[in-house]
Amino acid sequence: MSQPLLEVQDLAIRIRGTGRNLVDGVSFGVMPGETLCIVGESGCGKSLTALALMGLLASPPLEIAGGKALFQGQDLLGLTRAQFSRLRGDRLAMIFQEPMSALNPALRIGEQIAESVRRHRGASHRAARARALEMLEKVRIPAPETRLDEFPHQLSGGMRQRAMIAMALANDPALIVADEPTTALDVTIQAQILDLMRRLRDEAGTALIMITHDLGVVAEMADKVAVMYAGRVVETGTMAQVFGDPQHPYTIGLMSSMPAFGAGAGRLVTIPGMVPPISAMPPGCRFASRCPFRLPRCEAPPPLVQAGDHQAACWRAPLDALEVTA
Amino acid sequence: MSTVSTELAPLPRRENRAWKKLRANPAAMVGFVLVAFFILIAIAAPILPIDSPIATNWSQIRKPPSALHWLGTDDIGRDILSRMIWGARASLLAGVISVAIAVVLGVPLGVVSGYLRGWTDATISRMTEALLAAPFLILAIALAAFLGPSLTNAMIAIGLSAMPVFIRLSRAQTMDVLTEDYVESAHAIGIGHAALIWRYILPNIFPPILVQATLSIATAIIAEASLSFLGLGQQPPAPSWGSMLNVAKNFLDQAPWMALWPGIAIFLVVLGFNLVGDGLRDALDPRDT
Repeated sequence: MSQPLLEVQDLAIRIRGTGRNLVDGVSFGVMPGETLCIVGESGCGKSLTALALMGLLASPPLEIAGGKALFQGQDLLGLTRAQFSRLRGDRLAMIFQEPMSALNPALRIGEQIAESVRRHRGASHRAARARALEMLEKVRIPAPETRLDEFPHQLSGGMRQRAMIAMALANDPALIVADEPTTALDVTIQAQILDLMRRLRDEAGTALIMITHDLGVVAEMADKVAVMYAGRVVETGTMAQVFGDPQHPYTIGLMSSMPAFGAGAGRLVTIPGMVPPISAMPPGCRFASRCPFRLPRCEAPPPLVQAGDHQAACWRAPLDALEVTA
Repeated sequence: MSTVSTELAPLPRRENRAWKKLRANPAAMVGFVLVAFFILIAIAAPILPIDSPIATNWSQIRKPPSALHWLGTDDIGRDILSRMIWGARASLLAGVISVAIAVVLGVPLGVVSGYLRGWTDATISRMTEALLAAPFLILAIALAAFLGPSLTNAMIAIGLSAMPVFIRLSRAQTMDVLTEDYVESAHAIGIGHAALIWRYILPNIFPPILVQATLSIATAIIAEASLSFLGLGQQPPAPSWGSMLNVAKNFLDQAPWMALWPGIAIFLVVLGFNLVGDGLRDALDPRDT
């Protein structure tokens, strides 16, 4: 195997002045051209992880409490603001959740795309504009020559998201972080955008970290999956491994709470209880209070261990060693 | 999934909504007409077939409106129509230039203050509050008296007095814009400070500043008239509506028209700018669509 493009080790994020970490001991790796989906419910720390990688954490009040994120051999977490702003939009790009508000309403679409080309490549106005047009064509915006000179309010939500993708890809980044890129769009547009992202990713060989709570999106896009719960990675492996043989009780709960169509579809399964607030987070396994398979040793934090062909953070894993008592 | 078409039908082009709303607002249109009228006569003053505004005529002292002098004559026989038209130049010039001074100084200070925060913000904000503590006109009078009486100094005095409002406004608007998602996405493509301020902040704080500037022109015109009335603005014999009122107050019984015309003109031009300003505010308000 070649070198990973991004290697995150023990990333921890906390609110300044508090002890408990919002994101705790998160580790994962992304190979060049690979797609990693980080899944979890709202508040599990997946967006914080993405923002930390982009150097966009709102600090204060948030701060990095520890860990490393090696991107092409360079630790992202140790970069200065100036170093980060040279990297962002060039080798490292981000796609946001809200295409409605993530484009500058006072700047024409073409200029917004050209801006980052000019900044990072030192391209002339004319060359940057040509690149912007090329990008709009790539993301299949109809009548790109016209759209180039339009303002964001003249575009629909789906087209704005395409424009955002064009902005992110304009400098051929090695890695794109996409934070719920389809959540704000309706279902048919979601499908189009996912289709587009997959195609562009395959064409350019760009690695992708996709943050989502939608297991359907994961199934569409992922090579690898990291399931997060309450700030920790609870299970990680290839998409087939995690979906085919989930080892962590939370992942099992997530899978079974997916709505299904057809004759077998009964009541929707839910996971009982709620994520504990950060102030009352148990020191051991953070899922223990909701877990049907709880053991006395869940008082201690479970390490991420080999469970079958992938890894899970559960004292019960691997599951075939499970003596079912409940 | 791959069978889903990735082609979208093009949207029809939309007309500029703010402009459409402005045109549909009759009050704002009246304001535009008023303002345009005064601007036109002020510009056309040198080519209009009128008497010199400073030529005296001792046989035509304090004559009421007539075919010869449509608006009458003043206490030393000057044609009031001519003085009104030339006086419009002083009023409009004072209104526009003093607000331009206020905007050019106030907006950068406000944007820097809201962008950098910290001690820069604290320093600029405390100074702004000190200026705002003094009533607008009192401050303008004090500054004009300090600088010495002339139209130029009056404009500077009015501009400096109107500046704190623009500092406050642009600081608040900048802080507001900085919380927008598109600023975060600008960071995500590595935009630098200068580009962020020029292309992301300034264009987005422009609408409220435009509204405030229009309304401030009305206030500045009144301030210029007040300063000229007090002898701190336009100096005789050059005409200004304020200084014409100053002289007219001595002849209210004998020649009421001397006070009437400048009074009406000030009223109409201030009304015009206020109507335009209100119309712009309504048209540019994103909440009300």
